[in-house]
Formats: sequence, C-alpha cells, structure tokens
Amino acid sequence: MTRKKVKLAYITNDSARKATFKKRKKGLMKKVSELSTLCGIDACAIMYSPYESQPEVWPSAMGVQRVLSKFRKIPEMEQSKKMVNQESFLSQRIAKASEQLKKQCKDNREKEMTQLMFQNLIGKAGMHGLNMMDLNDLGWLIDQNLKEIDKRVDFLSKTSHNPQGSSSSVAATQSAMTTAMPEATPRASVGESVQTETNNNFESMQRQHWIMELMNTNPQSHVGFGGDEMMFPFGDNINVNNNALWSNAFFPWEK
Amino acid sequence: MVKNNSIPSRWKIEMKKIAKKTNLQVTFSKRRSGLFKKASELCTLCGVDVAIIVFSPAGKVFSFGHPHVESTIDRFLTRNPSIHNLNAHCNVVEAHRDANIRELNARLAQLVDILEVEKRKGQALDEVREAGRKQWWWQATINELGLSELQQLRNALEELKINVGKQADLLQAAVETRNCWPFLAPNGVETSGLGSEGNEVNASSGITQMYTFDPNLYFGF
Repeated sequence: MTRKKVKLAYITNDSARKATFKKRKKGLMKKVSELSTLCGIDACAIMYSPYESQPEVWPSAMGVQRVLSKFRKIPEMEQSKKMVNQESFLSQRIAKASEQLKKQCKDNREKEMTQLMFQNLIGKAGMHGLNMMDLNDLGWLIDQNLKEIDKRVDFLSKTSHNPQGSSSSVAATQSAMTTAMPEATPRASVGESVQTETNNNFESMQRQHWIMELMNTNPQSHVGFGGDEMMFPFGDNINVNNNALWSNAFFPWEK
Repeated sequence: MVKNNSIPSRWKIEMKKIAKKTNLQVTFSKRRSGLFKKASELCTLCGVDVAIIVFSPAGKVFSFGHPHVESTIDRFLTRNPSIHNLNAHCNVVEAHRDANIRELNARLAQLVDILEVEKRKGQALDEVREAGRKQWWWQATINELGLSELQQLRNALEELKINVGKQADLLQAAVETRNCWPFLAPNGVETSGLGSEGNEVNASSGITQMYTFDPNLYFGF
C-alpha cells in the first residue's frame, strides 16, 4: 500500500484514475459492509462510474431496494436532516476544524503567557514588547494564579492541625500567614465561579477591562525586581516574617 | 508514513456486531464519518456519482450523495439510461460546483495543516512547562507547594501585577502622547507585542520567539 499523500483533485491521467477508482471503490464497499456488520444497522451504497453503464451497489440490488424503501417511508424532514453532499459535508468539516484550531491557539497562547509570567518572576524578561492586550492577559493570568494560591492556602490553613510535610513548622507559617496574607481582594471584573474554570475565554469583555483596575494604581515603594540576581527570585520587600523562612533547610532554589 | 498515535488504528477487530452499546455508538459515529470522507474523496478523485444511506443504531438516517443523494437515488430507481442523459447536468452548473468543491477541499487541507502545526506547538509548550515544573519550585503546580512557598510566590505575583499595571500606564501615556504629537515616536515603547497583529516579536531576551495566530486570516469565509 502506498502511503504517499494524494493530492485531492480530479486525476487527469486516465489509467491512473481508473486504477484509483477500482481500489477505492472496493475499499468503500468494504467500509460500508463493515459498518453495517459492526453496528448492526441497515445501509446501502450506489455508485455510478464512467466505466460501467450499470451502477455498483452494496449489498445487492435487492438490498438497496429494501433500504431505499425504508428510507422513503420516514418523514421527508427526517430524510433530509442529515443529508449532505460534498459541499455541505466539506463545509461541516471546515467548521469543525476551525473550532479545533481556535481552541488550540487559545490554549497555546495561555501556555506562552504562563512562560512569560515565569520569566518575569525572575526578572529574566521585560514587558517592553507587550501590547495592551498582552498585558491584560498577563495580568489576568497572574490573578488566576493568585486565586489558586489563596484557595490552596485556605485549604491548608483549615487542615493545619496535621503537620505540613513540606514546609517549616506550623507555628511559623501560621504567624507568617496572618501578618503577611492580605485579604483576597475581589476583582470586580472577574466572575465569581472563575476558580473552577481556568480556561476562560481570553476575549471575554470582563477580562478586557481587567487591566483598567491595575492601571493608575498608586505605586507602592520601589519594587526591586532584581534581574541580575539569580539567587532569589523575588524582590526586596519580603515580609520580615518570611525571612525567617528563608533559612528553612527545605527551601531549595532548585528541586 | 505519518501515524496518528493518539488513536490505535491497527487493531484487528472481529467482524461481528459490537457487544457493548457505548462502543457500538462511538464506532458508528466514527466510521460513518470516515465512510463519508472516503466517499467524498472518491468523488473528487475519480468523478463518480454516489449515494450512501446509513441508518444509525438509534434509527436516525444519514446520507451522503454526489452530486445529490436524491438525484442519484432517482437515477437508480428509474433505471432508465435515457434518464441519465436528461439528468446530464448543465455544464456550467457542474463546473461551478466543481470549482467550489476544489476550493473547499483546499481550505480544509490548509486548516488541517495549520492545526497540526499548532498541536505540535502545544506539545512543545507542554514539555517546557513540565520541565520547568520539575526544576524550579515556583513553577510547580500550586498544590505541590507548602505554605511558606505559597506565600513567597504570592508576594512575587503581587509585585508582578503592579509592574504590569505600571507598564500599561506607560503604554497608555505613550499612546496619548503619540496621538497629540503624531510625529513623535517615543523611545523604547513598542506596541506590536504578542497581540493579534500577528507579528513575531522578541518580547525579551530569554523567551523563545512567539507569534500569535491571526484569526482573521483563516476564519473569514
């Protein structure tokens, strides 16, 4: 069996076309037969070719008649509901492929944005090349992550009777939590039930206005985002309580 | 040969009615779609007329025909060769239809190609994410982090958020300046970005080239 990619166009070479016809006709009839057997359903196929005056049929002339009369018995609307020809069939497939593509691109953009966010966390990337839409999406992504963190912290705090296996002593963390953890300020522009959906539509109106909330905020004290310092990812304004945690033996830079 | 690894397509399947109902329905759906696809290809490649009628397990009927299901059925039922000649399609209509189909086939092929590219890109991005997740603690899944780490991360993200806001302010100001003084090009502020302008932009030194898919190029039909 050849596995060359066949160009989907009328085969102009007569002998090549006839050969292809013979093979594919056989294959098609086989597929109809298999479908009928595997799924236990009625089916028929009629094929007119320039090579024969009589049509090729499956399962047989009688069988076709039977299926056709069954077909004709059902209401006309039902008959035509799922009826397609090449044009409509191709249009359907195009629509489906477009949808898949749109989704894939959206997912890819979110993944890229995540990388951008990580890069910025360690000061390894600038934001100079980003336009307003990028900044908006980046901000939204940061917010999503903050939400996730808050949720997790909430969960851990609630179950903090059990010792935390992966961080410092409970007491230290709890005190750090109460002083350092700001109240999760609700973002008015993002919906309530967003937490369960991390795959929101980037184009939604709410998100577009998200950036407006961020802009013109009174800048806090100078933000030290050391780009050269590979030692610590975050700026200088770390909470003093947190500093105590830096000495935690568990806190490796790299896993 | 390019093989679709996500669906095992070389199973040997027994030729009898599928026992499990859910499998049967899935199989019907997939095979019916594939059957119509094959029929469509045959029509394009060899210029044949077909009609295929299929009843679903639920009793619904699907049909595919070229040029139309109805005309081909009628042709079969009347069995009169002269009818065929009567049916001899007006050449102009046929030519127009063929051209349309050619165009649709081309468009579909193009979409499928692009989709493939984007899928591979997605896989590559997944790999990068996974590598980073294992290597840097702050790239780990949030559920993997302890309280102290979460707090650190939170602080850093808050800072970053502020920076994003600042950058947005900067951009906005630049836009306004440019609007007032169109001949002035502020230094260092680019607006092409990652956005839907479709340009490839090196957003920073460390990031791989990113480009964004421009939907208008492909969805406008």
